[in-house]
Amino acid sequence: MAMTAVARETVFALRRQIAKIEGTLPERLAAPAAVQPGARADTDDGGIAPERTPEITILRRGIAVASPDAFLRTGVERLDAALSGGLPKAALSEIHGTETRDAGAVAGFALSLTSLILRQEPHLPVLWIGTSEIFREAGFPYARGLHGLFGIEPEQLLFSEAPKLVDALWIAEEAARMTALAAVILEIRGSPQRLDLTATRRLHARAQNAGRPVFLLRQAGEAEPTAAPVRLIVSAAPAASRDTIAGPLAGSIGRPAFTVSIGKSRTALPGQFTLEWNPDEHAFEERERATNPVAVVPASGRRTHPAPASGAVLAFPAVGSFAAGDQPSRPQRPAHISPRRAG
Amino acid sequence: MISHRDRNAQRISALDERAEALHLKRGMGIADARAMHPSIDIVEADPEADRRLLEGLADWCDRYTPLVAIDGADGLFLDVTGCTHLFGGERTMLDEILSRFFHQGFDVRAGLAATPGAAWAAARFCGDRIVAGGEEEGLLAPLPLAALRIEPEIRASLESVGLRTAGAVMAAPRAPLARRFGATLLLRLDQALGRLDEAVSPRLPVAPLSVERHLSEPIMLTADIERLVSLLARALKSDLERRGEGARMLALLLFRVDGAVSRIAVGTSRPLREPVLIQKLFHERLAALEQDIDAGYGFDLVRLSVLSAAAFDMQQADLAGEAEDSDADIALFADRIRARLGEAAVLKPVVVESHLPERAVTTVPFSEVPQRRAPPRQRNTPPATVFPPERPIRLFRSPEPIEVPATEMPEGPPMNFRWRRALYRVARAEGPERIAPEWWRRQPGEEEAPTRDYFRIEDSDGRRYWLYRQGLYGASEVPPRWFMHGVFA
Repeated sequence: MAMTAVARETVFALRRQIAKIEGTLPERLAAPAAVQPGARADTDDGGIAPERTPEITILRRGIAVASPDAFLRTGVERLDAALSGGLPKAALSEIHGTETRDAGAVAGFALSLTSLILRQEPHLPVLWIGTSEIFREAGFPYARGLHGLFGIEPEQLLFSEAPKLVDALWIAEEAARMTALAAVILEIRGSPQRLDLTATRRLHARAQNAGRPVFLLRQAGEAEPTAAPVRLIVSAAPAASRDTIAGPLAGSIGRPAFTVSIGKSRTALPGQFTLEWNPDEHAFEERERATNPVAVVPASGRRTHPAPASGAVLAFPAVGSFAAGDQPSRPQRPAHISPRRAG
Repeated sequence: MISHRDRNAQRISALDERAEALHLKRGMGIADARAMHPSIDIVEADPEADRRLLEGLADWCDRYTPLVAIDGADGLFLDVTGCTHLFGGERTMLDEILSRFFHQGFDVRAGLAATPGAAWAAARFCGDRIVAGGEEEGLLAPLPLAALRIEPEIRASLESVGLRTAGAVMAAPRAPLARRFGATLLLRLDQALGRLDEAVSPRLPVAPLSVERHLSEPIMLTADIERLVSLLARALKSDLERRGEGARMLALLLFRVDGAVSRIAVGTSRPLREPVLIQKLFHERLAALEQDIDAGYGFDLVRLSVLSAAAFDMQQADLAGEAEDSDADIALFADRIRARLGEAAVLKPVVVESHLPERAVTTVPFSEVPQRRAPPRQRNTPPATVFPPERPIRLFRSPEPIEVPATEMPEGPPMNFRWRRALYRVARAEGPERIAPEWWRRQPGEEEAPTRDYFRIEDSDGRRYWLYRQGLYGASEVPPRWFMHGVFA
């Protein structure tokens, strides 16, 4: 801080340019004030931008590059904090399912996010692109179910079925640049060669320009290098029982639940979360083992305990200082060896 | 020489000049011809191919007039009313058509007259003759009865009473003719003489608007075609504006130098008149068809037609000049996708009142969805039940059979099942929800479909499925079958 004011100005202007060239990927070096007010003081050179812009901003190397509007908050504080504000709204986000049979959960999670987006843009349509293969293997989206669970009107839905991946990618690229769509969901199966770093970079760049999210659903896919800043790995979690006046109804299947782990994020450390979708409120809730015991399901002879320990129970850990127990050594770990140096 | 099979005998159906010089005739038996000249070369007739060739020629003749009709197996009618001046008059036009056909390797005879009947007779019996209006009688009088386009039976019976030329028939009193030979004879006669109107029914619908450009230098590159499309679209725009319409369907016709014609059609979801947008649509279509369009030696005539048009609602922009046009964006986007990948590339779900899950939602191509101007309507009708039955978020197009070894109770959910060769253990189950087939849709005589009992299943890994049992245990000899129908979130 011994530099003169003019020199500092120049440095910041240059940094801003660098940030622009590198892509306005929202990154966190200093946490948003809402999440952790104390964190800003910790950053050494980050004190300048927040003083100029009084509202909460996300800092990248001390320069404000993204406002909180740039994030889609999932509503689950722990997950939002881990992603430093939520999923980037104007970006490509990957949602992986490890097996094709997880397609229901993966699609359900993506649609939950879409439903959250539609809360702000209630009338815009949603486009779901898929290859013929995935629609045959995992089922075609069913408009009645989508309406019941996520509140997406059938009139808002557009489906596009492409026989070949090339065509699906082309449609997605055309759709990603449109601001008239609330969200674009591109669903493919496996890890095709064609969906490489270049293809995802194109999708990501268009999504950034349009300011709309593109969800890339990959069923039974491997984690590959892509341009998407965030990759979530979703699988189904046993649902809790239905709530009745007399307490949880034994043996019933309640709200949909997902196990979400952060597979890749430039800002977050890997973690696992169990989320429950509330179809009435259209909101996520995090399930905590202590408050929502799943043992209400009778453990009869042939039934195993339906809810294995999912995620670690931690009460809002300080951002950036995750307990070691919250970071399972997963195969995705190598992608995050240097999360802070990335970008 | 071409043979065809007629009443159990191979006969000559067509022959070239050299065969004619050998005194062979049409209709002669092949065996006789072989006996006369053993060295003749005989090819089996292929009426399908002849038809295709004729249609190709008809396509090519589209460059002269949009009203082209196919006449029988070997003729074309061109209604050139109002077109001749574009080609420098009747004589020049006829000469050009003939010379172009000649250079393509066809031996063509043509006639031009004020009525289709007279033109037909002129083409077949006089050759290259232009009959001015009012001269039809003079043309027809010396011609044989065949020039009247009547059936062979009528012709034979007319000849049997000594009427051998069209002139003789014209001179004969009408009433006895009609009584004896039927109304067709007089109808044909009147049509040929212009006393009755005869409409030539074109084989393709006539476009309400067309613009075209003749090129002295043929073009081959797709980029050139696209540039030309935007030029033509600009010319089309003023016409559409004058009519207050926008194009719903457009066709681009590319006439190749050697006679082949490519027809490229695109549909739009909403009336369109902006040249840029029209060009974009054709850009996608041309990109999709790149392999199919063979430019060959190039195209020398490019025509852009509006096949169907609809009223174009003018929308007033707000003061800032930005109209609310997200719908238009979507429509344009869908059009481009459809132009490249086909009509069914963009689908929209439509909710149908039905109990059967697979019937309850259908998907229709985007263009068929009725256009809504109003924002999504508010649902006034309350839902039938407070808690509507839960439906899966994905449904298999056809339910997939699963193996269920055992159920706890006969009517209960399965304990485990095998789907796609993997075993799933059922942890929890909800149901059954019984969905009976819709008896009112059953065709008479059709067997009633068995009822379905649906179960929501959660397997040991927490995945949720929608299974159903078709039929009841003990209701019939065939045991009920189980199906996987959908997946829950």
